[in-house]
Amino acid sequence: MQLSKHRPMGDSAMSARLSLGRLAAALLACSHAATCLAGTLPEERADVMWKMYEGGGIRVHGPSVLVRKNVTDDVSVNAGYLVDQVSGASIDMVVLGASPLREERKQKSLGVDYLYGKTTYSAGVQSGTENDYDSHTVNVSVSQDMFGDLTTVTLGVSKGWDSVYRVKDASLARDPAFHKRVDRRTWSLGITQVLTRNLIAGYDQEVITESGYLQNPYRAIRYLAGAGSTLFLTSPETFPGTRTSSAAALKLKYFLPWRASVSGQFRYFYDTWKINATTTEFGYSQPLRREAMMADLTYRHYKQGHASFYSDLFSSPNQQNYMARDRELAAQSNDSVGLAVSFDLLKSNRRFFKKLQGSLHYDYIMYKFKDFRDATQQGFGAGNEPLYHYNANVAQGFLTVWF
Amino acid sequence: MITLRLLPLMTALLFASGCAGVHPWVKPYEREHLAARVMKWERDPISSSYMSHVRENREGARGATGTTGGGCGCN
Repeated sequence: MQLSKHRPMGDSAMSARLSLGRLAAALLACSHAATCLAGTLPEERADVMWKMYEGGGIRVHGPSVLVRKNVTDDVSVNAGYLVDQVSGASIDMVVLGASPLREERKQKSLGVDYLYGKTTYSAGVQSGTENDYDSHTVNVSVSQDMFGDLTTVTLGVSKGWDSVYRVKDASLARDPAFHKRVDRRTWSLGITQVLTRNLIAGYDQEVITESGYLQNPYRAIRYLAGAGSTLFLTSPETFPGTRTSSAAALKLKYFLPWRASVSGQFRYFYDTWKINATTTEFGYSQPLRREAMMADLTYRHYKQGHASFYSDLFSSPNQQNYMARDRELAAQSNDSVGLAVSFDLLKSNRRFFKKLQGSLHYDYIMYKFKDFRDATQQGFGAGNEPLYHYNANVAQGFLTVWF
Repeated sequence: MITLRLLPLMTALLFASGCAGVHPWVKPYEREHLAARVMKWERDPISSSYMSHVRENREGARGATGTTGGGCGCN
């Protein structure tokens, strides 16, 4: 490819041969465009990861495995398993005087992709288990290449059945008298569009409806102990029984002349709880050492308004029908920066093993709340405490084998 | 004035020509750059899925991330 740039003019036979070589290389590259252009099955690979989140008094860590393998030329299967060991005490638990948490979450998933012409049919099941939460999800989707393979449209639907429990005490045994349900349905649309030979665009839209017990059984609102009081008392939260949300994201990715890429993404979200949120992301990817290494830099900014029934401090336990003090429903923003490095460890031409790659990812997230106060602070009086903020570290290390 | 009168007809012809078939303006042999690793939306699905989970548990917004998730009652 590079040689043709330096060929002396006039050697037409050699130029023609090199042009054919360039064409062949381009066609070969196209055949490997697995993820940006559908009509091909997912990559055959196995990932083994260790991940860790630490922030806001909580530490979550554990392993994760994901394997994708073709069983025939047009059928690919995948299986995943992860464990999250959760420990520590979030600010909500400290305010309520709850003892530090130590629990485990396990999640299993199975999926299949079937390629028929330019159409890919996918189906999957996923289940998760925690000490106080079980979830089951089934999803199906269909993806179609069209307009000369410049456009890929994906339609998906999923249904989830969750069970919410409450643990009785430090033994983490489930309270048999408490069992609630959540039903969830998701509809999604994805469009990938090739705009130029260096630019692709993507559009994702997702509508989610939920009904049932949508609150956390342990969390509480706080309200003033009395008129003019500087103290607060707590009372159980009350959430609406339904929620419908819609999110739409537009993203662009551009190939730079030095074989790097730059990307941008914007997402808008709103729901029937009156939460509005925007997410802006930028990324830069740079291959190094003749593409044996890859470095990625990302920046993300997230901003949301509060839910209509959220308040940091209510005037009484019966102020309104629905009342919440979940910090996830508060007005907040966060900024995160991420660095990811992946490097080839081994390459092989054997039938069952092509490449072994190592990857290290690190993200630093700064959370800031606009109307959620740090009620653990003493000496300020209810409603005058400093606004809550915290920083989180997210680390991932994983090995990937390509079959 | 004539141009304005012809505008609906020209628009109709434009749409009609679109129905006749879209000709790919980026040929298959011009997609080498799009096939590069740096141009993949989701290079490591195991990592993308985990980061979506981390964020959705701490933010009010969810969805349109291009990854599939399940329910969770994480504190």
